Amino acid sequence: MSVSILGSRESGQNIRDTNVRAVQAVANIVKSSLGPNGLDKMLVDEIGDVVISNDGATILRSLEVQHPAAKVLVELSRLQDQEVGDGTTSVVIVAAELLKRANDLVKYKIHPTTIIAGFRLAMKESIQYIKDYLSVKTESLGKDAILNVAKTSLNSKLIGAESDHFASMIVNCVEAVGVMGASKEMKYPIKSIKVLKCIGQSAKESVHLNGFALMTGRTAQGMPTSIKNARIACLDFNLNKFKLQMGAQVLVNDAKNLEKIRLRELEITKERIEKVLKAGANVIFATKAIDDFALKYFVEAGAIAVRRVDKKDIRKIAKQCGAEVLITLMNNEGEEVFNESSLGSAEEVSEERLGDNDFIFIKGMKHSSSQTLILRGANEFMLDEIERSVHDAICVVKRVLESKSVVVGGGAVETALSIYLDSFARTLGSKEQLAISEFAESLLVIPKTLAINAAQDACDLLAKLKMYHSASQNSSDEKKQEYKYVGLDLANGKVRNNLKAGVLEPTISKIKSLKFATEAAISILRIDDLIELAPKPEKERDGH
Amino acid sequence: MKAANPEKGLANEKQKSIRMTNISAAKAVADTVRTSLGPRGMDKMIKDSKGEVMITNDGATIMKQMEVLHPTAKMLVELSKAQDIEAGDGTTSVVVIAGALLNSCTALLEKGIHPSQISDSFKIAGDHASKILEEMSVKLDLSDTTSLEKIASTSLASKVVSQHSQELAPIAVRAVMSIVSEGDENVDLKNIKVSKKLGGTVDDTELIDGLVFASNHASHAAGGPTRVENPKIALIQFCLSSPKTDMENNIIVQDYTGMDRILREERKYIVNLCKKIVDTGCNVLLIQKSVLRDAMNDLSLHYLAKHRVMVVRDIEREDVDFISRTLGITPIAHVDQFTSNKLGSAKLVEEETVGEGKIVRIKGCSNNSPQGKTASILVRGSNQLVLDEADRSLHDALCVIRSLVKKRALVPGGGAPEMEMSQKLLELSRTLTGAESICVRSFSEALEIVPYTLAENAGLNPINIVTELRNRHTNGDKHAGINVRRGGVSNMMEENVVQPLLVSLSALNLATECVRMILKIDDVVMVR
Repeated sequence: MSVSILGSRESGQNIRDTNVRAVQAVANIVKSSLGPNGLDKMLVDEIGDVVISNDGATILRSLEVQHPAAKVLVELSRLQDQEVGDGTTSVVIVAAELLKRANDLVKYKIHPTTIIAGFRLAMKESIQYIKDYLSVKTESLGKDAILNVAKTSLNSKLIGAESDHFASMIVNCVEAVGVMGASKEMKYPIKSIKVLKCIGQSAKESVHLNGFALMTGRTAQGMPTSIKNARIACLDFNLNKFKLQMGAQVLVNDAKNLEKIRLRELEITKERIEKVLKAGANVIFATKAIDDFALKYFVEAGAIAVRRVDKKDIRKIAKQCGAEVLITLMNNEGEEVFNESSLGSAEEVSEERLGDNDFIFIKGMKHSSSQTLILRGANEFMLDEIERSVHDAICVVKRVLESKSVVVGGGAVETALSIYLDSFARTLGSKEQLAISEFAESLLVIPKTLAINAAQDACDLLAKLKMYHSASQNSSDEKKQEYKYVGLDLANGKVRNNLKAGVLEPTISKIKSLKFATEAAISILRIDDLIELAPKPEKERDGH
Repeated sequence: MKAANPEKGLANEKQKSIRMTNISAAKAVADTVRTSLGPRGMDKMIKDSKGEVMITNDGATIMKQMEVLHPTAKMLVELSKAQDIEAGDGTTSVVVIAGALLNSCTALLEKGIHPSQISDSFKIAGDHASKILEEMSVKLDLSDTTSLEKIASTSLASKVVSQHSQELAPIAVRAVMSIVSEGDENVDLKNIKVSKKLGGTVDDTELIDGLVFASNHASHAAGGPTRVENPKIALIQFCLSSPKTDMENNIIVQDYTGMDRILREERKYIVNLCKKIVDTGCNVLLIQKSVLRDAMNDLSLHYLAKHRVMVVRDIEREDVDFISRTLGITPIAHVDQFTSNKLGSAKLVEEETVGEGKIVRIKGCSNNSPQGKTASILVRGSNQLVLDEADRSLHDALCVIRSLVKKRALVPGGGAPEMEMSQKLLELSRTLTGAESICVRSFSEALEIVPYTLAENAGLNPINIVTELRNRHTNGDKHAGINVRRGGVSNMMEENVVQPLLVSLSALNLATECVRMILKIDDVVMVR
């Protein structure tokens, strides 16, 4: 007799099969977008919004998968995105392949726990092997290495053709925001890089700007377009016509009084503005609204006022130009004053027009460290995708600059690990051996998929790759040692030394994706029961 | 008279079938959780009625989520809950044992033994088994931290987060030990606050020296400080915003000067409130969440930020007690009572960015209030599923340590105590006669389910393992159990696989009681 529950229950081999099938389905979706020759997906949501992307995390996030096991995979790519920023597709593919092979092993009557133990061991060995033999220090490669890392990441994206242009822009950008952290190590806070999108012109016209930019125009046409030696005030309150708060009512007996009250309402705001201007401010950023009538005071004073600036932006501006974000003008005695000390300064604040949009540029701030990238593109979908690609590349560059260690891309690491694990498995006498050799085999899915996506002969290339790596690991000849850097050359359908060709990825990205993929596969493998409770029926309306 | 006999037979028939249905319903529940027993147990994925997914291996959680329908099956769910409350761990084993006992009942009932006789014999067997357990237990000294950590890691070894047991076990031990004083017979786990924060990995879980707010952060609106050294902390329960009367109220303005007056008065009111606070030397202000009014408004935030007072708002009402105890302060309900002697001190208050969110941490607080000490743990995890499971596992580990405080004795793990009980009960059954002997014997056989399942879940051959164990125990090797790591039988005490006596004891007693209760039911009446 089975348990009676409100819902359905699946257990044992059934659930493992269903889970593996669901996971496989998810992986198959992103499979074709792996690598430099990967294709893009067009996703249309229920409202009709279109997203074009080949970023694994983005695709999976938009999919809204239902199956709980598949959700684990979506979560996995999100995690990789968060922790590393790149490699979101490959992590999903590896996890799915691991699961598929594990499930086959279970069918051969190997207990899941044995497989799990084997996978854990294989993961540990691989990470150690990457650290000891496969990673290369960036110092030994010269400055180009970092550029190449950015290029490798960009190559697989929509803007692969312009990867040179973007790579140098991104590397400059990330290097410029570097600060010395507390522990005497360089930190690269990528939050200091502002990426703005602007429709028009080609992707190649994207520019890198030293300074801060806002994607809004000045509020009134009468204001100057550029102010040198700007004195900046950052206001976090309303400059609308003053309104009494809730609970206060205006009751007048006399029509004259009504007019007076109306005037006073304007006056209160005007007084505030005058206080700010009197202190010497000539650039005013406000997070909230500025009323139209209030604009004339700014115009008269020859100041630039910008309204509805994002709160995060205004804090950054304030921090960098030395201003103070004020939420009220109150002083210690409860009076309203504006002190000159609350002002910040910058060399120039100007409005410029790019494409269809106006931008406010703030240059030469006191503690400036922020960088701005303005992306151009033919349409919105393209811009969104460029933004995602640039984000990935920025993350990758940051990782490399911080960890100073890279591995060779193009399937080299996976093949090397596969060969190594295969021979490692043979040193074990237990059942784990089978699990480890399946793990080794699973890793080959990456070079295989890369080759297939590039319309090359996967079998042929894989055989060659394996040959080189096996030669490198089995001989002490120095020349053959170099073969461990051999990876795929997808454009020409050959294998080559990818270290020399400059196909590089951050070590940490490879290590983390291996770890995450194994963990995800294990957590799905451990499940032997799925209990789905029926949704509760909605309460009937009682007619009221 | 003639008609009465078949009816009586019918009634007997009905009682029998109800007993059988009950038993098989309960057994079905036990079978569900059986696969998740032990360090190599599998997990269950549960999709609840709202569509949210949970992956867990904790018996009590699985049962709670499953929403079984059959009334007897519900009793087993309750059983696991009871074990959770009593010992906190062993929630799966208790159900598995109950299932095995019920299974043996079926055979006994078919032999024609009367249910109450079975029930009584089970009581004898259960009592005897507890004695055996206590005899084989080893005394433990609470100052022996390494053994405590070993026990905590045994409990964690069976969870999803098992690979992090190295980090979590010492945390659990230190947390409980920090709030226990010499001679305590019990620990109130409410004094350990476990906060969860998404981001990072389970390795980043830490025991906080002081207090942590995982869902509150310092107010940034006015650019106030986010780090204060040697803070003077106050916890207030009143609002720093413009006053409101209880009833619907209106301020009527008839003149334009009235508008100015309102503005000025409001500012003055706030300034006065804040001034009193600042004057006491307070520089960190914790404010309880307020539903009816804004707890803070822009003016007060601005004033406090100007005087370098850090503001942490939206403190939950239920946390107030814990916070005030940790900091050794009393919450302040009105500004008139705001005096400098109500301020608490610490070494550092700091806001930190973790993952995508922020936390506020108070380090080095005095933590010696008369109402008892407290401890805080911050659990981290890369996604909600892992985070929740880490939280549940940590709770189990804390409970395990708590049960050691309650009863300071250990038994070996790995199925050793069950096997030992089974052997000793078998000896007992030989000294008895009649139905009692058969029942005790069945009871002893049923206990073998635990080592059997452990072996099965670990991918070992259960028959070989259980027979070997039986052999070792008959030859007097009390501590022989299943070594899951190496796949054989070895001495559990040497392998450091140990568990608190209380967990095994309460699992045995609760399971026996529950089975006896189910046995005694001979009719189910559905009442609409």
